[in-house]
Amino acid sequence: MGLEEKLPEGIITTQLETLVNWSRENSTWPLLFGLACCAIEMIATGSSRHDISRYGSELFRASPRQADLMIVSGRVSNKMAPVIKRLYDQMSEPKWVIAMGICASAGGPFNNYAIVQGVDKIIPVDVYVPGCPPRPEGLLYAMDKLRAKQGKDNFRTYANLNAPPAPATPEDIESLETLRQPQPA
Amino acid sequence: MLNVSPRQRPYETLPGLTPLGIPAVAPLPAGESDDTQRLVERFGDAILAAGMHHGQQVVYVKPEQLVALAEFAKSDPKLQYEAIVDVSSVDRSELPADGARFHTVYQLRSYARKQHLMVVCPADEGGDPEVPSLAGVYKGAIWPEREVWDLMGVRFAGHPDHRRIMMPESWPNHPLQKQVPVGGEEVPFTLTWSDPEFESFGKQVMAAESLPPVVPPGMSRENMIINMGPHHPSTHGVLRLVVELDGETVVNVDPDLGYLHSGFEKTGENKRYKDFVYYTDRMDYLSAMSNNLGYCVTVEKLLGIDIPERAERLRVIMAELQRVASHLFWLSTHALDVSGTGMALLMYATRDRERILDLFEMACGARLTVGYMRIGGVSRDIPPAFLGHLEEFLRAMPIRISEYESMLTHGPLWEERLRGIGKLTRDEVINMGLTGPMLRGSGVDWDLRRDAPYSGYEKYDFKVPVFTEGDSYARYLVRMEEMRQSLRIIRQAIDNLPDGPYRVEDRKVTPPPRAELDVSMEALIHHFKLMTEGFQVPPGMYYHGIESSKGELGFFVYSDGSAKPYRLHVRGPSFNNLYAVSKMSQGAMLSDIVTNIGSIDIVLGEVDR
Repeated sequence: MGLEEKLPEGIITTQLETLVNWSRENSTWPLLFGLACCAIEMIATGSSRHDISRYGSELFRASPRQADLMIVSGRVSNKMAPVIKRLYDQMSEPKWVIAMGICASAGGPFNNYAIVQGVDKIIPVDVYVPGCPPRPEGLLYAMDKLRAKQGKDNFRTYANLNAPPAPATPEDIESLETLRQPQPA
Repeated sequence: MLNVSPRQRPYETLPGLTPLGIPAVAPLPAGESDDTQRLVERFGDAILAAGMHHGQQVVYVKPEQLVALAEFAKSDPKLQYEAIVDVSSVDRSELPADGARFHTVYQLRSYARKQHLMVVCPADEGGDPEVPSLAGVYKGAIWPEREVWDLMGVRFAGHPDHRRIMMPESWPNHPLQKQVPVGGEEVPFTLTWSDPEFESFGKQVMAAESLPPVVPPGMSRENMIINMGPHHPSTHGVLRLVVELDGETVVNVDPDLGYLHSGFEKTGENKRYKDFVYYTDRMDYLSAMSNNLGYCVTVEKLLGIDIPERAERLRVIMAELQRVASHLFWLSTHALDVSGTGMALLMYATRDRERILDLFEMACGARLTVGYMRIGGVSRDIPPAFLGHLEEFLRAMPIRISEYESMLTHGPLWEERLRGIGKLTRDEVINMGLTGPMLRGSGVDWDLRRDAPYSGYEKYDFKVPVFTEGDSYARYLVRMEEMRQSLRIIRQAIDNLPDGPYRVEDRKVTPPPRAELDVSMEALIHHFKLMTEGFQVPPGMYYHGIESSKGELGFFVYSDGSAKPYRLHVRGPSFNNLYAVSKMSQGAMLSDIVTNIGSIDIVLGEVDR
């Protein structure tokens, strides 16, 4: 538009969407959440040599409310699946998921009764990383891929999201009186 | 010109293998030892069989006399089997065997006499299979018996806490029973994106509904009951603890396991012996090399093969490096947990751990799940540059350990959080069946590397650090000293590393080298047989424990003479050690639970298996 030429130095113009995406790309906070072997490589990615803070992602948040990215690092058992689902639901939008390693992607070597054959059966996945476990470089590459995806995001995606579920009513909450009742053996 | 002609090797075969597909029962023990003789004298007809099997003492006992036998073995001054290290079970329904369908198998240990005794008990038939519980004699039997009930469906009469331990309460079956399929899904083999197989990609297809939590027995809702985990930064994985609190004082802790249960044992029974090596990496993923070692040694004992000295030494180097790496990781996360300001130590210790991982990568190409060892040796020889880098590491590491000690040992914060926390007496640790640093931190002078040597550990000179305080601080000191001793062992292993083959040259176990396949028909046949069928292991059963970084890692293998283990049980040290967390935390503060978990040093992949 030629606007930049007329503005004083130090001012740039951009779209709001681009600006928001740019900031999301560079400060994606992962959930502090490890499952199995891949979690160890995730920690290795976060520590001194591989240094995930180059991506602005060093701040692993223990609370899902503060996290943008869930790195599913390891095999998901049938018992763990509801927990992962709930953690994902508790994360606020926008949120992303990386399925790290073959177990989280498709069950991997554990094709048996105990393991859910891929975390994409319970939550949507943005990036799949192959490997058993993937090297830290692999996870960093996945972050790169995720950044590319975040960069293409637009606001309309979030306009049509389902309304959040209604907050719990007093009837839903166990009353103190029922808590004090003796438990059936 | 490149010389590809093979070296001439004499071919060996293993005697007495049953043909593939015809299962056979493990032979009964033969001969006798002093201990089995004494038990036979005492119990007479209640002993179904007793003697030696693959060099270990085995006693078959009727269920009526099981508890009496355990009490006698524990209290008799000539036996002194003070601890139970493992409980497992065998479902014999697919064996050509008469009698009881289920056998339970107990591993008893005498620390004073350095003896091991395997007790086998056929379960009562009629309705649910049932054996009497040993929980009244050994506390260490409580969790393993719950595991047997959960996975195998054998009831334990008189068990104080008869709940499932791994699977959810609502799980429809006991997965290790032979009629239960291994489960899982058909693997889609398609290249068409319109195939319905791909429809579930990226979409939610499972409800994954949460169940309302249940208050564990023995907890009162008069107190506050809080939930810790399975998503909690200081539980080192997906451990869930239900904590009963009075104010901030812990009244009771009930660990809820199984959030990482991956069906290793069932999977192992459906894989050939040689293929399970790679699964062991993923159990205790912080000490993959030790897991490899434990499994390979067990199967080698059943096969009756001796491995070349170079392979033994290489295994020791790797296992000890792994112990240092595992302890470094433990140290950094423990410091991070208890002080909250230990981020610096995490960065330092992972730096040194990365050096060890680099060495592993040089040797086998992988960092974490190494799969370096094979039954009969190691997968490949170390590259020439390996020893130079290892020397450099050995030079640097003692200084680093001293640095870490100077950061922690006399730090007021560290002492405040560790001294007197999680105290366990000598009798308690023995009775609870704890192993490894838990044992040595409470004054029991026991290390399997020294007291029941395997893989040539008797050739090394090293000290076993023992502290008598029994608190978290003592366990910290034990592990720090263990790292130093591991470095000593590695130094001795390098100095005495002989040349020679790195795998056993028995063609029934080891595939022939690639060059040999081009010129020898026999080599081609051996290669084909090994790759398609694997090798067969003579019928028998064997329990072997090694000193892993966390404690005694045991493998119990029941072979029916085929190429797959009929029953494969793993005794994970973290699982048995974690049992102590309730005892350690009762009466302590809520924040001490975090110290105790860190001090036990658990890896959930091994706890849940």
